[in-house]
Parts: sequence; C-alpha cells; structure tokens
Amino acid sequence: MAFDCAIIGAGPAGMNAAIALAKSGIQVVVLDRAERAGGQIFRKAGNSPLPQSGLLGPDYTDGATLIEVFEKCGATHMAGADVWHLGEDGTVLYSAEGETRQLQAREVLICPGAMERPMPISGWTLPGVMTAGAAQVMLKSDAIVAQGAVFAGSGPLLYLIVAQYLRLGVKVAAMVDTTPRANYTAALAHGSGALRSWPILRKGLSLMREISASGVPVYKYATDLKILGEDRATGLAFNVGGREKQVSADTVFLHHGVIPNSNMTRALQLVHEWNAAQQCWQVKTNRWGQSTVPHVSVAGDGAGIIGADGAQSAGRLAASNILARLGKLSEAERDKEARQDHAALRKLAPFRRFIDRLYRPMEALQFPREPDTLVCRCEDQSLQDLRNGFEKGARDPNALKSLTRCGMGPCQGRQCGPMVSALLAKWRDEPESQVGYFRLRSPQRLLNLEEFSRFQRVQASNMDSEEAIE
Amino acid sequence: MNADILIIGGGIQGCATAFHLARSGASVIVLEKDYVARHASGVNAGGVRLLGRDVAEVPLSMASMEMWQTLDDTLGEETGFRRQSLVNIAANEADIATLKRRESQMRALGYTHENMIDQDELRARLPHVHPSCIGGVVSETDGYANPYQATSAFRRAAVRHGAKFIEGVELKGLRRVGAQWIARTTDAIIEAETVVNCAGAWADQVAMMIGDNVPLNHGAPMLMITARLPRFAKPVVGAVSHQLSFKQFENGTVLIGGGAKGFADRAKNKTLLDYAKLAFAAKTTIDFFPIMARATINRMWAGLEAYMPDNIPVIGPAVNSDQAFHAFGFSAHGFQMGPVVGEVMANLILKRAPGFDLGAFRIDRFDRKIL
Repeated sequence: MAFDCAIIGAGPAGMNAAIALAKSGIQVVVLDRAERAGGQIFRKAGNSPLPQSGLLGPDYTDGATLIEVFEKCGATHMAGADVWHLGEDGTVLYSAEGETRQLQAREVLICPGAMERPMPISGWTLPGVMTAGAAQVMLKSDAIVAQGAVFAGSGPLLYLIVAQYLRLGVKVAAMVDTTPRANYTAALAHGSGALRSWPILRKGLSLMREISASGVPVYKYATDLKILGEDRATGLAFNVGGREKQVSADTVFLHHGVIPNSNMTRALQLVHEWNAAQQCWQVKTNRWGQSTVPHVSVAGDGAGIIGADGAQSAGRLAASNILARLGKLSEAERDKEARQDHAALRKLAPFRRFIDRLYRPMEALQFPREPDTLVCRCEDQSLQDLRNGFEKGARDPNALKSLTRCGMGPCQGRQCGPMVSALLAKWRDEPESQVGYFRLRSPQRLLNLEEFSRFQRVQASNMDSEEAIE
Repeated sequence: MNADILIIGGGIQGCATAFHLARSGASVIVLEKDYVARHASGVNAGGVRLLGRDVAEVPLSMASMEMWQTLDDTLGEETGFRRQSLVNIAANEADIATLKRRESQMRALGYTHENMIDQDELRARLPHVHPSCIGGVVSETDGYANPYQATSAFRRAAVRHGAKFIEGVELKGLRRVGAQWIARTTDAIIEAETVVNCAGAWADQVAMMIGDNVPLNHGAPMLMITARLPRFAKPVVGAVSHQLSFKQFENGTVLIGGGAKGFADRAKNKTLLDYAKLAFAAKTTIDFFPIMARATINRMWAGLEAYMPDNIPVIGPAVNSDQAFHAFGFSAHGFQMGPVVGEVMANLILKRAPGFDLGAFRIDRFDRKIL
C-alpha cells in the first residue's frame, strides 16, 4: 500500500493535519493504536463511558467535534494500528488484527504526543503509585476513579485531574503542590506575556480556585516527598514550612510535567536537541515541523511541549508544508495559508514561557534521592547501581545500559531514559547535550515473535535523499 | 603524548592486547574513536563458541576457550561467562552426513571437543526441540558471556596495569618517521614505537595508513532479544544447515541471531535493519522450537562488524611496515578469540614466540588473488 502521506497518531495534531491534507485530495492514512481517534487529550471524547462527560470540561468535550470532522474528512483512518517501526524511507510496519502489515508513504508526519516526566521520589515504584496521566486514562477510557487518592507534584495536568475528580464527586484526600515559591517569583517576569493569553490563564486560575473552594486540603510549596508503605502505598509524607506531614491514601497520583514522547523520533535517529527551558530533549524541526530527514515531519507535543491548542496549529502547519512538498501548494500559497497558525503559535509562545518557568521541574524531584530508589523499574536498577556503573567507567548512557541493564527491560529505557541522561550529566558535570541519550530501536513496544515470523517484505521501496532542513 | 605501543580500537581485541602488554610492563595507549566496546565487541550475541570453527582457527580458539573458563579470576572482573555447552541441531539425514564428515576431519587432526549426539540425547539436552530433529553435535566447554562487560573487564584490568585509554578521539593519519610512529588524531598527536590495528569495521582504513592493503568488508549482523520467558533451553543452540542461533540467558531473555545482515553505514556509525530477514530468523526459531511462538521481541539491533573474504581474521605483523601489527576481520566470531588474541599479539609485539602458526591469518594472503 502506498500513500502520499502517513500520519502516525490521531491526537489534536494528527487529526488537524489529516483534515487539511485530505481536503486537497491526496491519499492520507492515519494510523493510531486506539480504536477511536482523539489521542490522550481527547481520548474517547466522542464516545465517553462517563454519564456526565461534560463535567470534564469544554476542553475535553470540544474534542468530540474535532473527532467527528476528522472521521468524515476522507483520510483513511486505521484504528487499532500499532506502529512498531518507522523507516527512514517512509516504510511503516504496524500490528493490526494480530498481524504485521506494511505500507509506504512519500511523506510521514509523526504526532507522538507527550509522556509524563518520571518523578522518582522514594517509593515511587510501589503498587498504588500511579501518574496523573494514568488517572486521566482510567477516567476517560473506562470511567474508573480512585476514591480518596492523594495527588502530588506540579503542573497543569495535576490541577486538571483533581478538578475533574471533584466535579465528578470523587473524594480526594489531598493535593500536595510541589511548585516552589521561587518559581512563582521567577515566572512573574513572564507574567505580562502570559496575560496575552488571558483565556488560557483564566482557565488555569479557575481550576485552582475550584480546588481550594472544594475544601480538599491543599499543601503548597511541599518538599521531601516520600511514599509511605512497605509492600504497597499507604500514603504520602512530605514537608511543608518545616513541618513533616502525612496523608493516608491507598492511591498516590504523581505528576511532574510532560515531555515529548521521542521514542519513535529517536528510533528513527533524527537529530534531537536539548530544550533548556523545558528541561527535556526534543526532535529538531523547522517552523513547519520538518525534521532533519526532509520527508519526515513531527507535530504537536512530540516535537516540543506546546499544549493541545498549539498542537492543532502545528498539525495544520505541517500539513501545509507537506502539501507544498507534494506540489499541491506553491510556497506562496503555503505561507498564506499558514499565516493564521503561525500567528497563533507566536501568540502562545509568551504564555508557554510563563508556564515553563512556573512549572520548571525541581532537581529534587527529577532524581532519586535515596541510593536504593529505583531508576529502572523493568530491571530493578537503583540509583546506587547506576552510580556504581558510572564509577566503573560507563560515562555514556548506552555504556551504562550495557553495564547495568538499566534500560534493557521491556520498556527499553523509554521511561528511565531522561533520568539516566540527567544523572550522567550531573555526575559528569557536563550539559545533557554532551551526554546524549539511549539509542532507541524498533520495535516501539513488545512484538509477538509468532506475529513477526509471518511478516514478509511486500515490496521494495526507494529512498530519496532530498534537500536539507531549512 | 607518548607510549611504547599505540593500539587503535577499543574493542575486545584491542583491550585484551592492551591488558597482556600492560601486564608485561609495556606502556600502552588505546585510542578509541567512540567509547570502549561501542561496536561489535559490545553489542554482539556474546557467543563463546569453539564448536564448528574453521580448522585454521581451532588451535587459537581452543586455547582461548581454556582462558575463558578462568577469565574472571585472571582479570579480577566479571565477564558474565557461563559454560552452558553448545548444541548444533541436525534436522535431517543430510545434516548427519555433514556432521560425520566434519567428525572424521576433526578426529584426523586430533581434536575431540566436538561430539555427535543422537535423537534421544538431543531431546534430553533440549526437551523443547521439534520432534522431527534427529540429532546434533555438542561442544561442552562452550557458552556465552556478556560482551560489553567482558570487553570492559579487559579494559579495567589493563588500566590497573597502567594502560591508558583515550575515548572519543579518532585517528586521522599515521606517519612513520625514523623509528617512531606519529599519529595525528582529532585531539593531540600521539607518538609510539609500535602501532597495533584493532580497528574492527574500520581496520582497512587503518591498514592503509600503515601501508597494507586488505580486502576487508563490513556488515551489520542483526540480533533480537525477547522479554523474559520461563527457562526452556540451557545450552546455546545452533543448527547444522539452518540459520538458527539462540541462547537463553539466566534471566530468561532469549537472544536470537542467525547471521542475517542489515545495512551498515560505518561513516555514520549507523545500522539499518532488514525486517524481512529478521522475520525469517523468527520463523526458523519457532520452526525448531515451537515454544518460542509465545515469545515477545523486546529489541532488534545490529552492530558494525568486519568481514574477510574467507571469514577468518587477520592476525600478525604488517607486511609493508616495521613495528606495526594487525588483529581484525574476525567475521562475526571474534569475541570468543579475544583472550588468546590479546596474548598472541602481546607476544608478537614483545618479540616473544607467539605459540601458534599464524600463517592462515596473514594480511597479504589475498594480495595475488582475484576476488
């Protein structure tokens, strides 16, 4: 099967791109592992299992409209298609209905979205500890909630899920906010810029008000977080204003911001850059989302955290550029079409700077503190194990992996990767850009050997090497 | 910067050579363009195999196998070596005939380490083998090690004896002036009396700097590893006439090889995989071991490896320069030879008897041949 453009991921970026591309009559395929389009943010927005999904807020329910437009746009939507390999030549290998299938595309747009930054506080790997993102998935996918949970950490998603829980009448034991006082002060410098995006800012502020008005205990400026419990979580201990506090709970949801999901862009060996403001790696793209491989573009949070609104613009921009590359638009037409979205992204940028500064991850939450705290949960590698490996001479993330097995388990370092690079940067006293990252490979997730054994090359494909990135 | 001996390449051959030289008191610098064990030595399948060797390699391989049994003690480090035996499976009568020919050849040369087994014995050693398999051959001393750990172990032991390792610095040129080699690198100039070419997939380029031509090729042998499975195979497993090769480690993961090659781009340190060929390896594995149908693949990768046209390495002195030596081109089975090659190289360099006939491994063995 050959397409003009393959889009991987049907979130806000992927859906908007597909709609824009399909309008021009080109052959577009959208592959997404979920049964319904929507991505993380609009997960099941069109078919929510919740009786009152409206309580999740208009930012969620508006997704239903987008999903509807997308479903009618004329793009081929392969639902339940789990892409496990993307080749530099535009070959896509994916699992669907228990078999590996292959397609080719002239242009590829990767919309992999974001993933949560690990928050390796003491006890973070105990049963009963999950992430705020997991809370959202359970809520949106299956209408499952955890009664009496503690939410801890920092960042917009944390406040959103707490507010959503409260609206649904779910009991919340406490919200423990780790955003340091210093971040508020530092973010103020970007305050006037943020005011330009007043509607978004207002939404955030009203979430906070909603939470404090609910009577749920909110602890601000918390430090020294520690999960309580031996075999499973029984609560959270932390420090507020010099006083030790404890909250009992069977479930603790942690959240510490999101970072681009770079697993596929890494496996493709695209160039990645260190984003100091967001303290994370992101794939190098130009203002159209085009990567260092010209026929591969990346849009949305997967190319640098910009939020759902930004992702919609980024998806459309990538689509315009792809249409120009396919000869469906002249560059002048592309630029004209893109004006509004470029302007929208420009307008969002000061707000993003404000949010990035306000919720900049704290070092105390980025690294484990106790030597026995696990970094790699797949292979049971603790901070001390990694330190020993480093002292044995493994200075490169891949060397450290080879020596300790950290990152060799079923998640292939997709979880611990950011932590390992950050730790090595600290120990080497060098910037992360110098330290580098795990060499990720396909498959993107565990692949059944029997399924794979039935795979045969369908057709050879030509690789075109073209102009460099702008 | 100066040393008696400059070794180009921080793979297992370079590290083992450094270890044996440094232990003898020589001053050694190992120059590695990436990091130690970055390429074939660190990412190979870890097979420590004597079974089925080219007859020219057997004496070296046998000596190396003896060294592996006590290598952790020699180095004071863990190499991850496990003696588990290696079984090559005969799928049919033609395979048995092949094995019988090999057996008489080996017996004639006085070797007794390869022993044929019948169907019952095969099933006793590998209970999950497909019932249609009729026998095989076993070598008891064989097993596997952790390639990155083993190479690093040689490095650390060498460092303890005073060897110096420079990583992330690439050799750009070699000149011989008087009795001295002058090495231009991406960092400082290094001077040495002797250079040793252990540059793996890049060894033809270093050989050229030394003055020797060599028809070296490079490739990207592919591997895949599964998530953990219940233990079902203790020996390392191969097949006489099929591209079957796997081993199950103590943690339950199964590493599947088989020799299929992907695409190698050595200028970019990059390999691309050929998934259809890997899928065929998956099929072969399940054909022989139906239990593997339930396995899941966790990672697929390839390393950059050097191949000679006859699939045996170059080991010995340079032919067009004094005070230069080569050890490379191991053609995807050099890991097991690392320990002995280090010793042989040290002996050659320090003008001691190498203890082995190295005639088959001369660098100029193809000089007059049309390939």
